[in-house]
Amino acid sequence: MARHAARTVAQYALVLFAAITVNFLLPRLAPGDAVDYLLPPEQVGTISADQRAQLLGQFGLDKPATTQFVDYLAGIATGDLLVSVRYGRPVREVLAERVGWTALLVGGSVVLSTVIGAWLGFRSAWSRGTVRDTGTLSGVMVLDSIPPFFLGIVLLVVFSVNLDWFPAFGALPTVDASGLALVTEVLQRLTLPLVTLTASSVGPMYLVARSALVGELQEDYVLMAEAKGLRPSRVRHHAQRNALLPVSTVSLIGLGTLVGGATVVETVFSYPGLGRLIYESVLARDYPVLQGAFLLLIVGVILANLVNDLLYPLLDPRVRRAPRARS
Amino acid sequence: MTAVDAPALPEARARRARHGRQGLGALGWTGVAMLAVVVLGAVFAPALARHDPDVTSGLPFASPGGSHPLGTDDLGRDLFAQLLFGARVSLFIGVAAAVIAVTVGVTVALIAGYYRGAVETVLMRTVDLMLAFPFIVLVVVFAAFFGRGLFTTIVVIGGVIWARPARVLRAQVIKVREFDHVLAAASMGASGARVISRHVLPRIAPLVAVQFVRAANVAVLIEASLAFLGLGDPGRESWGTTLYFAQARNAFLTDSWAWWVLPPGLGLTMAILGFAFLGYAIEEWADPRLERARVRRRATRRPSPKRPPNPARRQGGDMATAADRTEPLALEVRGLSVHYASADGPVRAVQDVSLSVARTQVVGLVGESGSGKTTLVMGLLGLLRPPGRLRSGTVHLNGRDLGFPRRSEIAAARGRDIALVPQSAMNALNPAYTVLAQVAEAAALTMDGRAATAKARDLLSSVGITADRHRAFPHELSGGMRQRAVIAMALVNDPVVLVADEPVTGLDVVTQARILRLLLEVRERYRIGMLLISHDLPLVARVADELVVMYAGRVVESGPTALITAEPAHPYTRLLLDAFPTLRGPRRALVAIGGEPPDLAHLSRGCSFEPRCPVAVAECPQRLPDLYDQGDGRRAACLLRELRERS
Repeated sequence: MARHAARTVAQYALVLFAAITVNFLLPRLAPGDAVDYLLPPEQVGTISADQRAQLLGQFGLDKPATTQFVDYLAGIATGDLLVSVRYGRPVREVLAERVGWTALLVGGSVVLSTVIGAWLGFRSAWSRGTVRDTGTLSGVMVLDSIPPFFLGIVLLVVFSVNLDWFPAFGALPTVDASGLALVTEVLQRLTLPLVTLTASSVGPMYLVARSALVGELQEDYVLMAEAKGLRPSRVRHHAQRNALLPVSTVSLIGLGTLVGGATVVETVFSYPGLGRLIYESVLARDYPVLQGAFLLLIVGVILANLVNDLLYPLLDPRVRRAPRARS
Repeated sequence: MTAVDAPALPEARARRARHGRQGLGALGWTGVAMLAVVVLGAVFAPALARHDPDVTSGLPFASPGGSHPLGTDDLGRDLFAQLLFGARVSLFIGVAAAVIAVTVGVTVALIAGYYRGAVETVLMRTVDLMLAFPFIVLVVVFAAFFGRGLFTTIVVIGGVIWARPARVLRAQVIKVREFDHVLAAASMGASGARVISRHVLPRIAPLVAVQFVRAANVAVLIEASLAFLGLGDPGRESWGTTLYFAQARNAFLTDSWAWWVLPPGLGLTMAILGFAFLGYAIEEWADPRLERARVRRRATRRPSPKRPPNPARRQGGDMATAADRTEPLALEVRGLSVHYASADGPVRAVQDVSLSVARTQVVGLVGESGSGKTTLVMGLLGLLRPPGRLRSGTVHLNGRDLGFPRRSEIAAARGRDIALVPQSAMNALNPAYTVLAQVAEAAALTMDGRAATAKARDLLSSVGITADRHRAFPHELSGGMRQRAVIAMALVNDPVVLVADEPVTGLDVVTQARILRLLLEVRERYRIGMLLISHDLPLVARVADELVVMYAGRVVESGPTALITAEPAHPYTRLLLDAFPTLRGPRRALVAIGGEPPDLAHLSRGCSFEPRCPVAVAECPQRLPDLYDQGDGRRAACLLRELRERS
């Protein structure tokens, strides 16, 4: 068990290293001069050769690639992630301001979509082939096919612009508030983005829960549970206990997709999270921040995968190895 | 009556029943229709649009009307034209990216799945990595660094979403690779490339189609997100680009959002949903895994004759000769019939079966697989699942009339008066709980928790599972041990009758003997009546007091074991006896029963065993033989016997 955990951690450390390397190489492989990425677009053509050299020196880009890579790794290790072109502040500070909002949005969405998806999926599986099942299935597929930004815009127009139930953007109130008032304001601003993101991520959870339970219901132990006289609710419990395994896996592994959705949703609602930051950084060509945010998201996703791999054996007595290793 | 390829039939029938004659089903065709609308709009865009989408052709923010069916945007460009031409870009990028993704995915799947080894490890780790990444963020970052051209967008999207097809298809390649004919081709020296192209690719083709549709679905969505973030090709506006401009220019603060934002948004939804429906429908139709699981489950409880009910003379000396008549019969089943609904009408899986088991008596129920043994048991326990349905029959337990054993009425007796050791009992334990917990859970139905655990421990020990193994999980126990645990679970509430369905099938000979001995022991100790189901007549004959032989859903012979084995009255029983070797007794030649079990959906009105019967006469295909009482406790349903007795 401990050996397995150690190996899993080592594997993910390797994955993390690969991701960091890609992150390092990306701007260097991209077409054009590094300076193009370090200056606001309108200034690129205007600087002299001296300024150019100075700029390269300032960012250590005149050193050999290997040295740059070592410096880069050292920077990550110490949390020193260059300086934002747009804000003129350390990237670390910029990220720190934003990461909490994304964690709130994505975390809330993971919980909600897992609970709702599993509940609907299990209900469908129990009544497989009936009108209720087909109806839910089609409904969820429709919901899943609406692009999150489109759903966001529609909700925004209806509930913010026309009905004025929720503020249209931001995460914090514009006037000072504290205590309960602050919490209410924050929740109000969180509601629409959270609903949008949850609605667009409930589909995969539902499908996994449904097919997992359909599979479990074919197992002989369900028949046995019925044959030994258990109440229907207990029989259900037996099957659902096992069907929850893939659901938990997908809920953690699907975090990557959710983070992607968050990027778009945060943009629609001007929600000040990492996704919105990425979008702004792309527009402002603030590549240090872009790299930093990307790195942070990758670390988050890899951690979620790691947690899944370590958690799975505890949930399922059958496996010593995580399911991803078997696939 | 012809002996048709029986195993193939149910599968075909199940398939047809589920999908109708259309193949794709309602969902699939809805998807096709949605995609057709989008594709037609895209293809005929130049003919349908009356303005150039990129050129100002009216006033800014014009409402729908005149030559602008959807009005104009902030620059006075026709929104209807933008919608049509946007469909072209969205669809083209989606499909092109899907082509790239599936090409890469198939290649990776074939290399990883066919050649395995270290290559596979590296490839699949990469796939895991790709799958873990936030697609959209990855694409945004790539697009930010590599520019916003159409071609770049396609390559970037394709390059990011290939991992899922690769992963799904690899699993299929591994499966196909192990098929006999593929192994044969490979072992006869065919090159890897040849085996892959001739044998592997054609088999996974339907699944490749599914993955292509799925990839197109994802690609359209990602392109839209990318364009919505302002990272689309500025020269070619897709639906996402239109929405980007609408958002950037605050269209939703004015009324124009209804014709500026809604149409491309709905178009996107329709295209994505079309791909989703189509993909789901193809997968349902093509997925061999689902299909096989379904058939395996049904195969054990299949079909039977279409014949008028035969109210056989089943009263009277009802095979209870050896039983003690002073206490009530443990189990008595009368006239039980089970039908399966199918596309061709009801299939009669069990027809008018009666049997009884006294306390401490062992009754063996034998017959080939598919003869209706398990269906009978599921029927009498009220555990049939659709499309199976109980048509008639009554059940008495310990003298109590339970009547027509519908689910709810038998439920109270299940696990208490009547217990089941199901077929493949080794798999009848929930992998997530210890055996002790599962036995105690059953005991807790009739006693409090502490007593239940004590009782469970007692029983587990008494069936031969030592105390140190009580808290083991099922996967930590051998097949024989699991079988014992299930027997303990069945006994825990002191049943009067135990139904054991193929309790020793799949075990090695030594374990078989031990389990049988255990069953006989518990019967003595707890004074239980036992219905022992098996396809192995000689094995059952060693332990059973009475035998009931089933063929094609009906009882063809029943009576005391000694009499039947000494002189079988039905030719089928005789063949069953001859088909297995015996350890004791004189050596003799083994005879296999020729022919196939009948196709139970299309039986003649005569004896269903007639086509395989070595002694059939001209009358056999014409008339259904009654269960004929022979006076010595035996009954048989054979015209020959009837004719002989009469003459």
